[in-house]
Amino acid sequence: MKRLLLQLFAISSVMLMAAGAYGSSRPRYGGTVRVLLHDKVMSIDPLSEEDHPAERDRLAALTFETLTEIDAQGRVRPRLASSWHADTAKRVWQFRLRLANFHDGTVLTAADAAASLARSNPGWKYSALDRQTIAIEAPSPVQHMAEILALPKYAIMKRQTDSNGAVVLVGTGGYKLTQWQAGERAQFTANDDYWGGRPFADAIEFQMASSLREQLMDRQLGPYAATELSVDQIRTVEQNNQTVTLSRPTDLLAIVFLQTESGERPGKKPVDQRVREALGLAINRAAISNVLFQRRGTPASGLLPQWLTGYEFMFGGATNLDRAKELRADAAAFVVIRPITLAYDFSDPLAKLVAERIAVDAREAGIVVQPYGESHVNSRAARASINADAVLLRVPLASVDSSTALAARSDDLGLLQASNLAILGATRPEDLFEIERKMLEGFRILPVAHVPQVLWLNNSAHNWQQLANGAWQLDQLWVEGAR
Amino acid sequence: MLKTALKPWFCALLFLFLPAASACQQDASSVPSMAAEFVQLVLSRGGSPSAVSVTFQNQSSLPPDAQEALQNAIFNAFRNANVRLVKAEQAVADVQITFSEDWQGHVWIANIQQGSSSQLVIKKLPRQQRALSSRTPTLTIRKISVWQQDTPILDFYQDNQNLLVLEPGQLSLYSSDSGQWRPRQTLGIPHQHPWPRDVRGRLEVRGGEISAFLPGARCSGKISPPSLDCNASDDPWPLDQGQLVAFFSPRRNFFSGLLAGQSAGASVVPFFSGATWQIGDQRFWLFSGIDGRARLFQNDLTSPAATFNGWGSTLAVVHSTCGSGWHVLTSAPTDTIRPDSIQAVEITGREALPVSAPVDLPGAVEALWTAGNYSQVVNGVMQSQISGKYEAFTLTVICNQ
Repeated sequence: MKRLLLQLFAISSVMLMAAGAYGSSRPRYGGTVRVLLHDKVMSIDPLSEEDHPAERDRLAALTFETLTEIDAQGRVRPRLASSWHADTAKRVWQFRLRLANFHDGTVLTAADAAASLARSNPGWKYSALDRQTIAIEAPSPVQHMAEILALPKYAIMKRQTDSNGAVVLVGTGGYKLTQWQAGERAQFTANDDYWGGRPFADAIEFQMASSLREQLMDRQLGPYAATELSVDQIRTVEQNNQTVTLSRPTDLLAIVFLQTESGERPGKKPVDQRVREALGLAINRAAISNVLFQRRGTPASGLLPQWLTGYEFMFGGATNLDRAKELRADAAAFVVIRPITLAYDFSDPLAKLVAERIAVDAREAGIVVQPYGESHVNSRAARASINADAVLLRVPLASVDSSTALAARSDDLGLLQASNLAILGATRPEDLFEIERKMLEGFRILPVAHVPQVLWLNNSAHNWQQLANGAWQLDQLWVEGAR
Repeated sequence: MLKTALKPWFCALLFLFLPAASACQQDASSVPSMAAEFVQLVLSRGGSPSAVSVTFQNQSSLPPDAQEALQNAIFNAFRNANVRLVKAEQAVADVQITFSEDWQGHVWIANIQQGSSSQLVIKKLPRQQRALSSRTPTLTIRKISVWQQDTPILDFYQDNQNLLVLEPGQLSLYSSDSGQWRPRQTLGIPHQHPWPRDVRGRLEVRGGEISAFLPGARCSGKISPPSLDCNASDDPWPLDQGQLVAFFSPRRNFFSGLLAGQSAGASVVPFFSGATWQIGDQRFWLFSGIDGRARLFQNDLTSPAATFNGWGSTLAVVHSTCGSGWHVLTSAPTDTIRPDSIQAVEITGREALPVSAPVDLPGAVEALWTAGNYSQVVNGVMQSQISGKYEAFTLTVICNQ
């Protein structure tokens, strides 16, 4: 009995003392949340071409809302739409809008939603059935329409023109964009009239392209509530009992060959398919994950990670140097094998290390890979003008719904539109597996690793939610020391 | 035969690993039925072969003994479907089954090889949430679930015949019918402006008269015939069976600190929740301040007798026959996006002593309000992080002697 009492007291003491001076649970209002971003965001338009779309989407989510959202458990939830249903073929969907206002005070209508969505996906038809109901008609069945409409690109907004002729985007979200210096700074202020209630924080400020040198040296975030970290910075911060949160391994690091046999880029010869396959077999993915990503990443053999689908292991991905050499020799009998130029994001030191490691592995199979840094590898438009044979891309995970994630990844990687139609119509996991398998056929895409998103959080920031796909959910965010 | 033999240990083994966990207690056949369903899918995709060879692979966190139990269930399902299990060289089809998993549950994959053609079956099974644990206490908090729903619950009231659920936009009335709550009527709560985020509300029912308090609004009505009339109002809210009455900030989620009722004119720091009780001639008040500190007042409200750090922001007082007879039930100091717990604390002198083990909850405690004729019950509301549902529940305290 005495032992039990001691145990009980120990448990209770931990519970009552855990939070130190500050207890918490009910959020508190007020204060400004300051966040450091690693990269520059040039626009918060979810439809803009951006080098760092994941960061753009994080900012955009504060001010623009989608009809639906995916919660931390992967469930689709109402957002601007309060309910929805589809016909039996899942081709025509109807969404009922809740009562919400744009930041300019006008009421959100089905016509507004239709106009906004038509920009996001011109391939579907939109009609306002009444003031609050929008119908979306797709040419073929879309099994996961509600999940797809949670993607940032389907955010509902009004596009207006200001007195200078510049386009102004007006959203409905909990925060209003009040200051914007592209690539440098953004400030979002609480929307007092938000349909879901005013956010707790008065404002959220983002400072972009931050070096973190000072914070890492001090091992303190100082006045900042949060910042992104790369995997190699975790250890420094963790050693000082700071709060570091890692998402699951979400981002796909993959080699994408820019020219294929179908000849999308005139005047550029594709790398022989056998050489592409050989390179895939030569890469030591386990070493990249274990050493370069310090066991925080996982080797990638598919486009979607094992934790999301449960079937990535079926794509193989093991190193096989003997087979790689055979394929290389086979190719050499028919074509001249030239060095492969591999462009990587020059602002990402880890991408450089991975590209160099790939070059070392490739050499083992007799393939020459020449890595070099490029400034805009992540932008699809900019990629078109890159003179490399391949790029090493880091692609965020857009959704925790497998089919939506695969459709978005297919889009990001510039794969065929036909794949997307098949993905949207897929009803079973095995259909998605088969589609993914076909996407990897031809070795135009060589998955290398799945990498987590890392966040360094100040203890004064509460309810900062990092979703399984690395996205931030800041709906309930609040900071200490404010009233 | 096998089903019977498997029953006791099968469920025990799979309890933590398969969705059969809760079902095992009621129906031991659920895992075999999942296996049967999977096998039926395999057979229909494989063209109903008469004889198959089956091999297994484990890519999941399933331990070897649980895997063996599953394999047996699948073998049994093939036999029940009149399919012979044979060696590969005698088989019409080779079935390779892999137990894998994703972030939400288990993934069973069958690769069916027939000559040069192959078919794939992938079946996803949700992972069962772990049963909630309540550690052995010296004083036990007993939690009884009353109602669950997808939409937010602010407060509730129940008696033998009626359940009233206060929601941000409506008051839902349910009637008892053979032990089940059946919807009876929904009464709207109109409001001009959006509710504050983390909206809160208070429901009081006395003699069939309803009083509902929401930020900047007050509703009055009757249970029978059901009626509710709402108006903009800054009336103070009753916190603790009418013993404590306080003004609520209409655009925020806390009480302003200005008290009414028996303590009219007194003010304390703004607080999220408060309680009061009397032992002999001593009156106590306890408030969880919005600065994260809980403040205890004894006999007068001018200055706190003690301040406690590290408490959660939701508390309520409950009366029992244990100890001093009054216990504070308090939530844990966790963020609202994480699991929470409730623990009983007894105030002795100026000390707060934990007198129960924490009761773990799968989500944040949204509300705790003292209820019952003798304050012997606390009505609670929480939102489960796992299911996303809101749950109304009652808490009582049981002495452990």
